Amino acid sequence: MVETSRTPTSLVLEPGSFRDWDARVFLGRDRVYRALSEAGAADWDALAESDLFEQFTASGELVATERAGDDVLDEIQRLDPAASWVGALSHERLPFVSYPYEWSFSMLQDAALLQLRLVSTALEEGLMVKDATPYNVQWRGARPVFVDIGSFERAREGEPWVGYRQFCMLFLYPLLLEAYRGVAFQPWLRGSVDGISPTDFRALFTRRDAFRPGMLRHVFLHAGLERRHADRGSDVRGELEKAGFDRKLVAATVENVAALVRRLRPRPGASTWSEYDQTCSYLDADTAAKEEFVRRVVGQRHRRLIWDLGCNEGRFSRIAAERSELVVAADSDRAVVDRLYRSLRDEASTSILPLVVDLADPSPAVGWGNAERSTLADRGLPELSLCLALVHHLSISRNVPLREVVRWLRELECEVVVELPDRADPMVQRLLLGKRDDAHPDYSRDTFERELSSRFDVVESVELASGTRTLYHAVPR
Amino acid sequence: MLSYIDPGAGSLILQALAGGVAGVMVVGKLYWSRVKRVLRLGRDEPDADEPRP
Repeated sequence: MVETSRTPTSLVLEPGSFRDWDARVFLGRDRVYRALSEAGAADWDALAESDLFEQFTASGELVATERAGDDVLDEIQRLDPAASWVGALSHERLPFVSYPYEWSFSMLQDAALLQLRLVSTALEEGLMVKDATPYNVQWRGARPVFVDIGSFERAREGEPWVGYRQFCMLFLYPLLLEAYRGVAFQPWLRGSVDGISPTDFRALFTRRDAFRPGMLRHVFLHAGLERRHADRGSDVRGELEKAGFDRKLVAATVENVAALVRRLRPRPGASTWSEYDQTCSYLDADTAAKEEFVRRVVGQRHRRLIWDLGCNEGRFSRIAAERSELVVAADSDRAVVDRLYRSLRDEASTSILPLVVDLADPSPAVGWGNAERSTLADRGLPELSLCLALVHHLSISRNVPLREVVRWLRELECEVVVELPDRADPMVQRLLLGKRDDAHPDYSRDTFERELSSRFDVVESVELASGTRTLYHAVPR
Repeated sequence: MLSYIDPGAGSLILQALAGGVAGVMVVGKLYWSRVKRVLRLGRDEPDADEPRP
């Protein structure tokens, strides 16, 4: 059981939680607090008594929640005097927040299935989930956790599934985009905080696509109905209720959508690095030495958060996870991240969070006031970053000067383990192919070491057996 | 009481349709009552239920 919350020392308003007027989120140091309106408090009471709450909390799929003490409510009322908050909840604080545009296909799919399971279980207990957004799902390693307790409300008879449109725009269409078109959904979700509209999504397909599972109903018909009703203020909700719409129909719809989501598979096309581990046999000799180096640094002390940047199949993430609370394993190749996620999910791992992140173009701050969703760095810097087989990709493939790479590393304000392959390295040679002979004049071990030692103290460096790669353990100056 | 997100009028009809045969029947009844209302509107004053534009 969770202990009763102590007095929060300093609460801050969570800038992304403003949409629902019945609840508002405040961040404490170790806990997350949620202020409730009168209606919100009554909805919470109904949820707290349900089997759903008990069952999903026990499985870890619902964020651990208890009623907060009066001191929390007092502090919230002081911070936000204009609102009329009558109650407050206290939630466990998950170690790292991530967004759907950083998830792989199977992550979004599993989050979707959790959302649907919650809707159908809620229905059985006289509850309803009032929205359907993947931003309400976070991760305990590779296990999805639904965090928005404020989404549950008491069901009203005849009430349709109001979250259906949002589910399509933020869950179903992104999944269909990758499954049927092989197009990455991440840039689309990052580009639009509300997702892909039925009309826009319909425009990406031809009539022949209507024969694919789910397309006719959820895309073609949906877009057509949306167009028909675009400028009519008709009370469809009331009309549906009069026509005899009831809860059983919502359950049937949810089951229909879940069956569709379950059968979708990623089709990421040719992935450059998903075969990396198999094709890089020349690095075999180096791998053992790298593992030993990482294990030594990681073993020095227990750390809260480690980032493994350019994680590939997650070999080093797993080593890092041996001595830390959480490893964020980031790679720009979504196929690689998806494979890592699936293997972690099968192991029921809770210590590694795989994310799709392009470090040369990382998650920006987006949404209302550019504060609704924050940058990767603003969500918590690590105590150690692993950058193995990363620098040459940033510097040569993405043209980021070595000096800039080191400056960026320093901004992470943490210890780093970084690998530098020199120009003679076969992988560097491969990346340089097709570039001018005098390309990247700054790319050399000398430049790198000069830049690194101007901003860091290099604790240890080891040249690997291949003779073309060097590992550094450095701490910020 | 309304939800805090806009469910979309067209989307509401679609989520009923996706509920199988029973859903299609409900939507059929919805459209049938619209037809009846239009016919009635031809004769009488506008229905008090008529939603605002």
